[in-house]
Amino acid sequence: MTRLARYWWLLVLLCIALYPPTLGGMSPYRCGILVFVGIYVILAVSLDLLMGYAGQISVGHAAFFAIGAYASGILTAKYGVSPLPAMIAGVLLSAGVAWAMGRPVLALREYYLAMATLALNVIVVTLITGMQSLTGGASGLRDIPAFSLFGFSFESDVRYYYFVWSVVVFVVLTSLALVRSSFGRTLIAIQSDETAASSFGIDCPAYKVRVYVLSAAFASLAGSLFAHHMSFIAPDDFGVLTSINILVMLFLGGSGTIFGPVLGAGFLKLLPEVTYKFQDYEMLLNGVILIVVLLFLPRGLYGVVTAVRNGLVRSLGRQ
Amino acid sequence: MGDASALVQFLFSGLTTGSIYALIAVSLVIVYKVSRLICFAQGEFFVIGALTMVTLVSKGLPMPVAFGLSVLVATILGALVERTLIRPIQNSGIGNLIVMTIAISLALRGSALLIWGKESHVLAPFSAGTPLRVLGATLQPQVLWIVGITFVALLVIWLFFEKTTLGIAMRACAENRLGASLMGISTQKAALFSWAWGAGIGALAGMAVSPLLFMQYTSGVMPMVKGFIAMSIGGLASIAGAVVAGYLLGLVEAYTIGLVSSEFSDPIVFTILIVVLLFRPNGLFGARWSREV
Repeated sequence: MTRLARYWWLLVLLCIALYPPTLGGMSPYRCGILVFVGIYVILAVSLDLLMGYAGQISVGHAAFFAIGAYASGILTAKYGVSPLPAMIAGVLLSAGVAWAMGRPVLALREYYLAMATLALNVIVVTLITGMQSLTGGASGLRDIPAFSLFGFSFESDVRYYYFVWSVVVFVVLTSLALVRSSFGRTLIAIQSDETAASSFGIDCPAYKVRVYVLSAAFASLAGSLFAHHMSFIAPDDFGVLTSINILVMLFLGGSGTIFGPVLGAGFLKLLPEVTYKFQDYEMLLNGVILIVVLLFLPRGLYGVVTAVRNGLVRSLGRQ
Repeated sequence: MGDASALVQFLFSGLTTGSIYALIAVSLVIVYKVSRLICFAQGEFFVIGALTMVTLVSKGLPMPVAFGLSVLVATILGALVERTLIRPIQNSGIGNLIVMTIAISLALRGSALLIWGKESHVLAPFSAGTPLRVLGATLQPQVLWIVGITFVALLVIWLFFEKTTLGIAMRACAENRLGASLMGISTQKAALFSWAWGAGIGALAGMAVSPLLFMQYTSGVMPMVKGFIAMSIGGLASIAGAVVAGYLLGLVEAYTIGLVSSEFSDPIVFTILIVVLLFRPNGLFGARWSREV
């Protein structure tokens, strides 16, 4: 049983790999939905690094999602650059923006920080809407080609599913490795008490900028994946409401846990598949679920999952 | 219309939106001062107040009665939200509290969608009458109502917080919670009243502007964001700052839309915010930057 507790992640990987041929029945529709889930998992995990570990509130994470999506979209659709270099360009651009904005913005605290990140989101979206010749403005950017790598095209949804989820696994593993390293412990120290952390010789502003850059790079990656999946993107996809959605996923799943946001993103993105008949109730339902989680499950869905797992391991171990 | 009269016209529209921003910013400040919490659901009280009044008026209630009842409904709703949803988690982290108010706003907006549907509603103006001509510009009578209501509301707020025992007790809580509770003031009650006030004022703003605006279940989002900006520029905890910044924002927006282009109004507003935050991290009217150790 302890072996299961240690190697359960292998099971998860196996489930991801085997889903399309078994339960998914190779259905493009189901794989397409899971592509969305994967993209939002990346976004929520990247926000977790920034908020859950370093304690820096961001209500504008969709800004980097937008930069990644538009960098990929513009370079591939308008200039014929192949998708991988375009994706890398997006990541570099997002990281650059985060690096430049990081120091002044992250010097702010609490609500001021929330306002500044929100403002960043609005400014990016307005700039995208304004630069019509490049981005297509409010009517959007169309004809973005499917992702391809060295001549191999990921055009079918099943193929793209595997590609996106490989990126998801990469992002989750990188994040886990990071938060369990001394870097991660430094971030947690900054979250608990910045003054105390800096009295231990930690250069807080530098660490905050680093985690912001990293988080922006991951979000940009998600943006590129999104652009190639949709083949059509518009500024509306990247507004403040999207940022708030990512925030909600993080807290629903349990912030500061990496696996929490994975669950949160999956739950919130799959919920409409169950409730699509009651579309008008969706917003109310989202709100009520989140209220219940915040009131009664302070550690989020991940807290529930670990409690169930611990209970199972204990009861199975007893037999 | 000549250039001068166009400028006067923009002044009127700036004062209209400015009044609304100022009211919302003040409602946010009152909640923030007493309970150290920014309520992301304030825009929902704005919508619910307005739509409740639309419904009551359509049921045949006279305008003043509907007006009073709608404010009452929003006030009670605000107090209820504080008592049942905010108080149980008031000691958890700030992130949790922010997300809780987002959750409340989702729930309220979802309820508004179910009650009033997706369509827009519009209220008849508070007083019938033809638009006035002032210096070559047209002035809707409703604009006078909005500005008037704002001034009366601000006066009432000022009287309440300066002259009544309850108001002074709430100010004491805002100043120093521990000290206030040692003096026998219930900080919980103060937080409850601050939410009731906040919700009521938010609803008032929505009701005043609803004859000029097509009110829909999502209409609260943008006014709320602008209210936040006004509040942040004004320094979070300053009512005077919020009022000044609210009007400033309304005027800047109106003149940008009129003289430059409507596309630039939001970027300019947000740029002002970022510049203010960078150079005066505690807002224009906030206390000087200090760090608690």
